[in-house]
Amino acid sequence: MENSYIDEPMLEAYVYETSQIIETLEQLMIQSEKVGTFSEEAMNEIFRFMHTIKGSSAMMMFNEISTLAHKIEDIFYVIRENKTIEYDFATLVDCILESVDYYKIEMIKIRNGERPDGDTASLTDKVNDYLVKLKKDNGLDKSKKEDKEKPKADQKYYISPNRKEDQAKYYKVKITFKKNCEMENIRAYTVIHNIVDLVEEVLYKPSDIIDNDQSVDEIRSNGFHMAIRSTAHEADIQKYLDSTIFLEKLDFEETNQEWFKEFEVIYQDQEISDEIKIPETSKKYVEIQKNKKEKEDSKQEVTATAAQSIISVNVDKLDKLMDMVGELVIAEAMVSQNPEVVRLEIESFDKASRQLHKISSELQDMVMAIRMVALSTTFMKMHRIVRDMTRKLSKDVVLDVYGEETEVDKNIIEKIADPLMHIIRNAIDHGIEDAEERKIAGKDPQGNLTLEAKNSGSDVLIIVKDDGKGLNKEKIYEKAYNLGLIYQSIEDMNDKDIYRLILHPGFSMKEQVTEFSGRGVGMDVVAKNIESIGGSVIVDSVLGKGTTIILKIPLTLAIIEGMNVKVGDSRFTIPIVSIKESFRPLNKEIIRDPEGREMIMVRGLCYPIIKLYEHYGLQTNVQDYEKGILIMVEEDDRSCCLMADELLGQQQVVVKSLPNYIKKYKQIKGLGGCTLLGDGSISLILDVGEFELSNVHEK
Amino acid sequence: MNEDMNSFMDEQEEDTQKGKFLTFYLGDECYGIDILYVTEIIGIQPITVVPELPHFIKGIINLRGKIIPVMDARLKFNKEAKDYNDRTCIIVIDVAQLSIGIIVDAVAEVLNISDDNIVPPPNLNTGGRKYIKSVGKSEEKITLILDCEKLLDENEVNELNHAND
Amino acid sequence: MRLMIVDDASFMRVAIRRMIEKEDYEVVCEAEDGQDAVDKFKKYRPDVITMDITMPNLSGIEALKEIKKISSTVKVIMVSAMGQEALIREAVMNGANSFIVKPFKEDKLIEVLESMKS
Repeated sequence: MENSYIDEPMLEAYVYETSQIIETLEQLMIQSEKVGTFSEEAMNEIFRFMHTIKGSSAMMMFNEISTLAHKIEDIFYVIRENKTIEYDFATLVDCILESVDYYKIEMIKIRNGERPDGDTASLTDKVNDYLVKLKKDNGLDKSKKEDKEKPKADQKYYISPNRKEDQAKYYKVKITFKKNCEMENIRAYTVIHNIVDLVEEVLYKPSDIIDNDQSVDEIRSNGFHMAIRSTAHEADIQKYLDSTIFLEKLDFEETNQEWFKEFEVIYQDQEISDEIKIPETSKKYVEIQKNKKEKEDSKQEVTATAAQSIISVNVDKLDKLMDMVGELVIAEAMVSQNPEVVRLEIESFDKASRQLHKISSELQDMVMAIRMVALSTTFMKMHRIVRDMTRKLSKDVVLDVYGEETEVDKNIIEKIADPLMHIIRNAIDHGIEDAEERKIAGKDPQGNLTLEAKNSGSDVLIIVKDDGKGLNKEKIYEKAYNLGLIYQSIEDMNDKDIYRLILHPGFSMKEQVTEFSGRGVGMDVVAKNIESIGGSVIVDSVLGKGTTIILKIPLTLAIIEGMNVKVGDSRFTIPIVSIKESFRPLNKEIIRDPEGREMIMVRGLCYPIIKLYEHYGLQTNVQDYEKGILIMVEEDDRSCCLMADELLGQQQVVVKSLPNYIKKYKQIKGLGGCTLLGDGSISLILDVGEFELSNVHEK
Repeated sequence: MNEDMNSFMDEQEEDTQKGKFLTFYLGDECYGIDILYVTEIIGIQPITVVPELPHFIKGIINLRGKIIPVMDARLKFNKEAKDYNDRTCIIVIDVAQLSIGIIVDAVAEVLNISDDNIVPPPNLNTGGRKYIKSVGKSEEKITLILDCEKLLDENEVNELNHAND
Repeated sequence: MRLMIVDDASFMRVAIRRMIEKEDYEVVCEAEDGQDAVDKFKKYRPDVITMDITMPNLSGIEALKEIKKISSTVKVIMVSAMGQEALIREAVMNGANSFIVKPFKEDKLIEVLESMKS
């Protein structure tokens, strides 16, 4: 960076804020486009967004970014100020979305420490053309001056109300401002405005400092000239003028009345007029100040309450906080469960430690909850994808979103956006037919795409469903067979296994590569990405009716409501949503089939039993059904009964994944992760879906 | 005793850590781990058994909210198991972003071994010997320096995985 | 000198803060819109305020008016951008002590702040 003052925290703040603005702007565009117009609120917001980007980017010396924002800001300024204006909404949305895309790319570059070097020329031209056309079409391209032409010769200069002719002296002043101080005309205006208390009369040149932007140039090259008539002390006037901000040079000398008159003549020669009413305003201003001063004294201090509702925190800090809370919980257990203290049986100690426990577990819950982020932002992005895709491909597709409030750990959210985007693109590109085809197939010409998120046990399901042409089982099979991916005959494979083939690396159903979905990556990349976060992809389809793709995402680090159970020395946690009921069985209710498998009849339905101690090879004294407990679990309409020694109780637990070392060693069937219990010990979370469940209802 | 060990390590941290090894005992044998891998030393603590793992992975422990696997060095090196006592320690090491605890009989000290005193191991690629990277000599004592990468090698793990299947 | 930074853009607040940190100014508070600025002014009573113009809730100029009603002695520096000449003029009429135009570098900002000391 060539600027010494731009440092890491500033850069970080810039990228963070600008990215957020861009994202909000994009959503605002998509929403507005749906309504077909900008609400007043939206307009104000867009104006402010662009203003902020303009200013911040200029500070960072990212001039291209700033200029583009400035142009868009101008457009919205015009639209906002002229309520009845007619403008081309669709083109404007396109322009802004194109700018959003440009900004996104530049932000990535900046974040990576590169210069934002994207070429904005054509984009800026486009926006500029729009602005010019907008003004022209609405007759706003005339200069401002014509609008408010009201020459008032007698108000060209300021004459103080408390005029004292006698002792007045005349001064000749020339102010030269420092280079690059910007808006020299307004600076000159400030000088004039604030000199009123000192002078009887002041004339200045250039005189059109307010209405004419060109006056800036004149001040820059020739300086700002004043002729002053005043009864104040010379030193006071000079001191005042000396205090002018960004003053490069002050020429100040006493002169005579003749020169003053001459200046007046020169001044009057100039045709431009302005209409500063300094005497009036300044007078009012003084009065106001007086009034306020009185009020001020009587006014009690009002407490400021406008607190920030949202702050951003570095995830690393949250990780650290979480570790510390974990440590706290252990330390708490070590104190309150210290055997020597427990032996003393002090009632007040027990009470206090219960209170401590309550607070520390609430603290733990809260820390976990902080990390959870709703999927809504990710889902919102998909609207943009659908919009762009449908336009380019001339398809009519409507996206419905459900369950966007579902929360997932921050780290996971980041990893699902890309796969999801890919699936959506695929669905529109390959899945949903064009309107003609749909009509012929007897479908609504408008395609439907639904995106849904929901909690399911220790998972979050993200479901993308289209009503397109569906997957052709035979074709997939044939292709996979020819590619040598499979050897079985089609009869030996069930539908889901065949559909799953599209997730296979190197398998791409579409020969034609399109701009959107065909970039050499296929569904296999989606599957790989999802698996990398411990999830899975399920594909289902009905030929001619549509395709459903389900991403099963684990709630790693998420909080679930779980039932803790004990088996020997081990503890397990079963997600409450998976549990239907639990009960103590009677031995006589147990049925054994010829292969020795045990089952139990409950209300006329037969459920297989899985003894956890047997399943995991654990030591326990509770092997008799009547001493243990059966927990009936269910997932996707399939059920079984798990046998444990006893129930330990229900609590919210934080799902942690098993250490990578162990995961790499082996995917242990039925274990979805682990969690820390209040005493710092570890409980293993059961993933009910991975047990051998049976479809009870069919039997 | 663990605290002693940790504070001892802190003192040393100031110096360059090159050539420093944390030594520990398995029975009478003295082993060393390059101190760069070691993140901390803790006493033995409750271990949660995870089913279906090889016998030398004893399970997982809660290290201040972080869950890490623990490996019994004795079992890993095909030595007979020994009950844990208050001298038993878990040395937590970080290798290629994997954290793992190694259960050892006792931690000895942090030893300086100069490069001159480190020699390749005798060619005995059997049992625990294949995890020895080199042998260090100091004050008449022989230290078997562990190859941490190999100790946690995924392929190694996979081989075992298949062997178990 | 006790300073309040008013800007709805967090970046600008960070930028201004970092620019003046080395100097002898104490940033007593930051406000993120005009109303916030008025409220915080009452609470913290800074000597000098840097005031953005385009802000939600209450614009910089409205906030300036409100604050000047409360105290005529507080110095307010408007932080503006090119194209806001008319707004600055309005601000000056309403008692703004000076203004600075984005983009600016630290020397400019400090010069304006220094001039507020007199």
